[in-house]
Amino acid sequence: MSNASPGAPLDTSNDPTGDQTGRFVIQPNGRPRPLSPHLQVWRFHATMTGSILNRMAAGALSVGSVFFVAWLAAAAFGPEAYATFSGLMGSPVGLLIWFGITLAAAYHLTAGVRHLIWDAGSSLSPKAATSLTWLSLWGALVIAVGFWAILFATGKVTL
Amino acid sequence: MSRQTKAFVKGVKVSERHGAGEWTAERLSSLILIPLALWALWSGFSIAGAGYEGVLDWVSNRVNAALLAATILISIWHMNMGAKVIVDDYIHTPGSNRALSALIGLGCLLLAAASVFFITRLALGSAPLPAGLAF
Repeated sequence: MSNASPGAPLDTSNDPTGDQTGRFVIQPNGRPRPLSPHLQVWRFHATMTGSILNRMAAGALSVGSVFFVAWLAAAAFGPEAYATFSGLMGSPVGLLIWFGITLAAAYHLTAGVRHLIWDAGSSLSPKAATSLTWLSLWGALVIAVGFWAILFATGKVTL
Repeated sequence: MSRQTKAFVKGVKVSERHGAGEWTAERLSSLILIPLALWALWSGFSIAGAGYEGVLDWVSNRVNAALLAATILISIWHMNMGAKVIVDDYIHTPGSNRALSALIGLGCLLLAAASVFFITRLALGSAPLPAGLAF
């Protein structure tokens, strides 16, 4: 590795308030402090993928919460507003959105349980953590697909 | 940020800033949301395709209305904490970090207030909204 990377603010090198990422901190030997490897250098493995998907599910659910409040608003605004809302949400695109919300909720639930198991100090060996992650991924898929399969099978939802 | 406490509980040093309280709140909200999420899934199944009358009938049950409000409020609380963690992970400039966190908090507050307002009206069987708001 050569000297400080171009653009490194050398004058504030060891001031942690200037650059809170610590990206351009210069060591006493004059070289920038080495960085820990990030996504592009890591080989994907189950636990890492599970964690990334969990954060994505959380983001999707945040958007989904707006749809939930919109549903409450539609009901509170009366029959016409509710008919308009359920017409939109009953369309193929609307059903896809609600399937996505169901999948995100199911995975955030199973991955959350997985996280709580880890927090309790269990299943922390690489092998156990990987199996638990696969279980949470497949569990979520079974919950979401099963839920919608039953909705269609009972005729509560039709395309 | 610079407040330093040297507290010990059972010989274990307590976080010098504020990490422990947030950690506990995240786990507590997760634990409460497990049964509530399962209840919401079951409720979603029971009112799917029920239409306007069906939803009004379901939410007029006080237990359903209370559990619905609890689910949404605790979800928004949990969501606010999660969003704050994501902001802390990626936004390192103190000013932007605080501004974005405040904006997210405001959005969460708005969602929470709106849902409580709508659920209360629905549970009490109030008249459809524009009428209620006009006078």
